[in-house]
Order: sequence, then structure tokens, then C-alpha cells
Amino acid sequence: MNCEVCQLKELEVEHFEIREVLRCILHTIVFHRALGLVRPKDVDLELFEITYVQCGDVELEKKIDEKIDHFISWVEKHPNKKSQICLSFYEVKSKQPSWFTNKTERLYWEQWYINLNVTQHPKHHSSKSHHTKLVVDPGESATEERSSRRAMVEASLREVLFQIIKFVNEKKDHVPPISEGVIYFPYEITIPSSSDSAFGMDMIKRMLHSGHPTMLS
Amino acid sequence: MEMDRESGKLEQIVSQFRSKILHVILDSRVPSLHHHHQLQQQESLSHSRVRKTDKWFNLVLGDRPPALENLNFSLRNLLDPMVIDIILVHRGSCSSSVDNLYSPSAPAVGPADETVIERWVVQYDCPRFIATPSGADASVSYKKIYKKSIILLRSLYTQMRLLPAYRIFKQLSSLSQTYNFDLVYKVSSFSHPFSREEESGMKEYSFAPVEALSGYLSVSVTYRATLSDFNLEPLVSLPPKIITDYVGSPTTDPMRSFPSSEKGAHATSFPLRGARPPSSSPFQRPHSWSSGFHRGFPSTKTQSLAGSPPAYRTSPKPYDIASTPTDLYGNRIQNQRVSTLQQVTAYDEYKSSPPFSPSASPSTPSYLSGANPLLTRHCSETAPVTIPLPLTGRSTRYLSPNSSDPSRHSLPPLSPRSSKHDASSQESPSGIRSYRKIEALRAGESPSGLSNNYSAQKVVRDSKDDSGRFSALLSSSGSPHIGFSRSSSRLSFQDDMDDCEFSCPFDVDDVDVSDSSSQNTEGKKASEFTAQSNLVGKKSQDAAVGILVQMLRTAPPLRQDSSCYSTHSLRTEYEGGVSIASGFFMPRKTADALEELNSYREMKDLLLSKSGTRVVRQEEMK
Repeated sequence: MNCEVCQLKELEVEHFEIREVLRCILHTIVFHRALGLVRPKDVDLELFEITYVQCGDVELEKKIDEKIDHFISWVEKHPNKKSQICLSFYEVKSKQPSWFTNKTERLYWEQWYINLNVTQHPKHHSSKSHHTKLVVDPGESATEERSSRRAMVEASLREVLFQIIKFVNEKKDHVPPISEGVIYFPYEITIPSSSDSAFGMDMIKRMLHSGHPTMLS
Repeated sequence: MEMDRESGKLEQIVSQFRSKILHVILDSRVPSLHHHHQLQQQESLSHSRVRKTDKWFNLVLGDRPPALENLNFSLRNLLDPMVIDIILVHRGSCSSSVDNLYSPSAPAVGPADETVIERWVVQYDCPRFIATPSGADASVSYKKIYKKSIILLRSLYTQMRLLPAYRIFKQLSSLSQTYNFDLVYKVSSFSHPFSREEESGMKEYSFAPVEALSGYLSVSVTYRATLSDFNLEPLVSLPPKIITDYVGSPTTDPMRSFPSSEKGAHATSFPLRGARPPSSSPFQRPHSWSSGFHRGFPSTKTQSLAGSPPAYRTSPKPYDIASTPTDLYGNRIQNQRVSTLQQVTAYDEYKSSPPFSPSASPSTPSYLSGANPLLTRHCSETAPVTIPLPLTGRSTRYLSPNSSDPSRHSLPPLSPRSSKHDASSQESPSGIRSYRKIEALRAGESPSGLSNNYSAQKVVRDSKDDSGRFSALLSSSGSPHIGFSRSSSRLSFQDDMDDCEFSCPFDVDDVDVSDSSSQNTEGKKASEFTAQSNLVGKKSQDAAVGILVQMLRTAPPLRQDSSCYSTHSLRTEYEGGVSIASGFFMPRKTADALEELNSYREMKDLLLSKSGTRVVRQEEMK
């Protein structure tokens, strides 16, 4: 089976925007992959004028929020770093027990990479800015800067959502058949671990499990 | 046969697919249908049942609107495209917003622009005569078709919320305001092509088609990229507002205090008369009891008025004097206002206590208005209300010893005053003074008003008419003074009698200066008491008590009953005085005099009990 990978456009967000942005993206993806009977739930973002859709599953919402909390705590420990969150959908295949492993195998058939660049407060940016003149009136210009920045983030987020819709529409063949009584496909959210190298190792492990990317399903 | 069954299945999927798409689109674009859906959702949540239609494509949307069923019937031919136009109806600006206040449901005056802001085209392309799979392959095929349709519907559902028209839909869906635009839909099997101008501002998006055996299902949308060109604004309207502190019912207490500033109760704000700016005063009632002022308000002001209490508040100042309502409420409010100007605490008592007697004279409040003719004038317009005297305040005053401040002199209880009064009588000797009403003191008089030299003030003059008042002993050296208090009800009754021009024989000081003979009599007594008062300065407190008791005994008797308080030694003298002065006193009711007598007796007993045997000795001395 082919594992489709979608690299979403990088988003430059501030610390306080992480939760809303991640909730929006993760829920949108899962909604497109929750092919069981769902009662859609519209959620309006507070920071942006965007409405996204949840599949309405309470358990799912809880798990996603937990992962977002872990990610935020990681970001606090590793500030000013580009980070990636991986949302993977897999199939559980029971493997014949052998002397290597007797675990069930996960076959990842789709992976979404959410690329975030968490920036610090704009005040820190001003010191690194290339502006020739100093900010004389920080109040007004800061507000303008903030609002323009906010608009940019909103536009970028909207682009990401369109990207998801496009990907979901174009690639449907790799989606496994819907099981009876299952609302959404098994998924896994991977956040960066304490070290970058370990994160890289996780990626390699996943690739091995899912098989060679060039293999056809 | 199989082909028929297979095609039947496919037809069903396509038919349901179209219906579902229509349902999603209308539910996300037409507010009226959306509200219907919301109600249905609430019901379904409570009942926790899933309808058959909901199960299609695993997307629970609630009951389909009836219009949708009709449309499905009319578009039975699945091969025809289903074109759904979302039209923005924009009411022109020539329609007056004020008109909409009164008849928001009325058709807009002026032309309404209709613009197609979204066009959805759902099509099933099926070239004919293509062999369809059969058996197990067919089942797998249909499952795939079904699965892909589900995904398409999911992405359509998400996309509906990302397009620009969704924002307009949300605005319209909120019930808090009405707007000058609306969203309507039109479903047909053909579409009028857009003009070049229309096309220039539109974008297109096509969902990936779902392969459906012999054909494919496609969904595409042409939409306006931006809707900022339209002047979409909320209609000026005054939403219904619950007035929590409405004072319109006759049963409402007009004297009810509102959250007041440090000045006391303010006048209530009156209905809007013209466009008045919101007052900066924080304690003005937003609504008065006048009705109908909500309507017809100039639209320019409503931005600040709609749904905001402060916008209705007006400054009470212009209404205070200039435009006072003539009803009872208005008058009372004005009196309140004036009292705050005066800072007359007694006036507060006046308004806080119930009217004692309906027969009270309107001029009674004139005691207060010595310095303020305005109050007098307005008070005369009110219902006659007496001014009761606070009991506690006076009692503390009266019983305060060692008071060198003349203003602290305890006042004797009051009794109906005599009619005749003269300014010159104020220059009484320093011996025996008569005390004024406590209201007079509070009416802004200086403390010196109670000094030996009574100021020539109307208030004082009026109080001196009070008869039945006995003087407390006053010494120039500031010996303790003793006063007596009465119940407020009694005083009120006495105030009622003020106009009856009744004088009390106990008013030994210069009450009636117009009568020279009485003045002489009083002068005699005054001189006598003066001598005694000099003695007081030298003697102790007990001696003062004794002297006071003697005063009580030697006080001129009542006209009717002259034997009560006169001692044997002075009896003849007083009898003469009474006969001379009788012409200047109004008759009193026996009951009143008896009551007064009893009170004096009580006081005397009290003093006697305190002074012990010394008074007795003094009596023996006489």
C-alpha cells in the first residue's frame, strides 16, 4: 500500500497562536478521514476569522488537545525552532509472530506534516529587523504590525486548509475501505521529542514500517 | 437484470448524492433553512436518533427542508446538471432606515440588487452504452464510489466555510440584527451564463470528480472572490430591551431611591426630547415612565442608542426647574432636587416620613425655606405634609452636658405657637430664652441663632410663636442645660397647629412683643430669672436643677387651667398676668394641655429623682 505524504505549507505562528492553529489543522484533516457516521460540528476560531469542522467525537478532541499540550511544552523548552508535527493514519495488520517481533504491525497509508515556525514576541523581532530607523512610537506601529501579522497568519492558515482539501480530493485511492462501526481511521500524532536526532530516527522507523515510498499498493 | 439493478444502485447513489450536496449548500448559505436545521438538530440531539437521510454518506445534517424534496422531484433527471445559485439581495440605500424600524418586514423601498455570488454545479456525466461491471466487482465499485463520495462531501462541507459567502451567511444567521441584504437561492437545471463583468470578479474551483462506473460525478463552484464591494451594513433598529428599573406603574413608589451619588437622589431622566447627548452623570435612570420615546429616534443617533442603556440617559439638570412635570411625581422629584441644593437634612426627614396629618398647613415647610424661597414656593404646591422632627437627633442634643456651644443648647419641646410674633421680641433678656425648633437650626441658621441675641430671621420669629414651650435655663457662663424632648408625632401635631395661632402660656420669654403688657410681665419674670441665673453660675449642677424645677413651678399657668404649675407664692401674680395676656392667646384643647402637663410632670419627677433632696431643700427655702 502506498503511503501518501503531504507536506503542508510552513506557518509562522506566535506562541499563543499555536493551540488554535494546530486544533484547526488537525481537526480538519481528521474530519476528512473520519468516514464513519459523524455529526459535524462547526468551530469558530477566536484569533482568526476562520471556521473549521470537527467530527464531533469527544474522545478524539481530548487526544488532540493532549498532544497539543505536549507540543506546547516542548516548544517552551526549545524556543525559536522550526518544528514539525506528524499526523499519520495507519492500518493495523496482525503479523505472524516470529522471533523478531510478535506485535501487530502498523501500516501507515497517509502522513501529514504540519510545519510550524514558532516565533517569539514581536519585540524581539524589532531588534533583529532590518529597518533603518528606530521605532519612535512603539504603540501605534506595534499595533499595526500585529494586525498585519495576524492577517498574514490567517491567510496562510486558509491556504493550508485549501491545501488539505485539494490533497484530500486528489488522492482518494489509497484510503482503506471503511470498516463497519468505525468512525475514523486509526491515527497517530507525533510531536518532536527532546532531541532532534531522535526525531529523525522516528522518521526512519516509520518509513521502514510503511515500506518503501515507491512501492505501489 | 443485473444491469438494471446495478444502474438502480448507481442511480440511487447519484440521486442521494445530489440531494446531500444541495442540503449542505442550502444549510450553509440560506439563513432561514439553517435555523430550521438548528431546531431539528436540537431535537435530534435530545432524541439521539439518526434519520435515514442522515445515514447517507455518513453525514448527519438533520431533516431535509421540504423545499428540497420538491426540488429533488423536479430534477429527477439525473443526467441534467443541478445548478444552485446563491444570490445576494442587496437593498438599496434609498430605503429609509427609520421606516424599517416600524415595518422591518415590509418590502424595501427602492430597488434591490441581486447578484449571484456563488454558483454550484453538480453534474453526473455518464456516457451511454458503457458496460458496467457485475458481481463482486460491482459491489467493490459501489463501495469505492460511495467512499469517494463521502470524502468529496466532507471536503465540500469544509469548503463551504472557507469561501467568502460564509461570512455573510454568518452575519445573517445571527438574530441580533437585521441587515440591508439577504441571501436567497435558486436551483435549476440550467444556468444563465455570467456577463463578462461578472466573470471578471469570480473564481472557480472544481472538486475532483468521483468516478462512478460509466461516468463521473463532478462538483464545481464559481464564486465571487471578494464581497467588500457591496455596502453590506446592519439595518438601524432598536432591539427589544427589557427595562429593569421602569417607573411607569402608578403603584411604583415615586420616592423610591435610585442609585444615587453623594448628593442624594437625583431627579429621574425624562423622556428624550430631541437628540440629547448621553450624560456623563453616572446615576441617571435610563428610562422614565413616558412611553413611546423609543420610536422615531433619529437614525444618526441610534448607533449609540441601540441596546445601550447609557444612550437613553439624559442630564436631569435641564429638567429640574425649566420643564418640571406638573403631576405629583414631578413635583416631588423637583423637591428632592431642590433639597439637595439646600442640603437640608430636615428636608430629607420630611420626605422620608409619612405625612402626619392631612390638615397640615402648606406653609409648614416654610420653616425650612428661610433661606430659600424657591423651596417655599414649590412646597406650597405639594400636598400638605408635616415635618416630623427626628427623635434621636434631638435627644442626643438635648442630653449633652457641658456644652459651651450655644448651638448645642437643648431645645424644649414644641407646642403650638402663638399667632403673634415680633422681631423685636428677639431681643429678650439674657435670662430666659426660648428655644427654636431643631429644623430652624438645621435650616442653615448659624449657631448664633440660638445665642442670647436672636437673629432677626423669619424662622426664629416663627418658632417664637410656639406656645406651650418652656424655656430651659440658660446661663451666660455655660452651665449645663437641660432640655426636654417629645415624641416626633407630638411635635408634628404641634406643627399642624402652627397656623392656628395658639400660644402656650409656658412661653415665658418674648413671644408676643406686640403686647407691651405681656412683655412687661415677661420682662419681670425675665429679670427675676436673670437674677436667679446669675446664681446658677455659682452653684453646682444640682442647684441648676433646682432652679429649673422652680421655674417649672413658677411658670405661668395655662389659660384654662391656671392652677397646675403655679406656686402659691406667685399665684396671684400669674393670675393677673393671665388675665391680661388672655386676650392674646388662642384657646387650647384641654386634652392637649393635659398631655403637656403630664409630660412636664414626668420631667419634673425625673429631675427630682436625680437631684435628690436638694430640690426639696430649695423649696423649703421659699
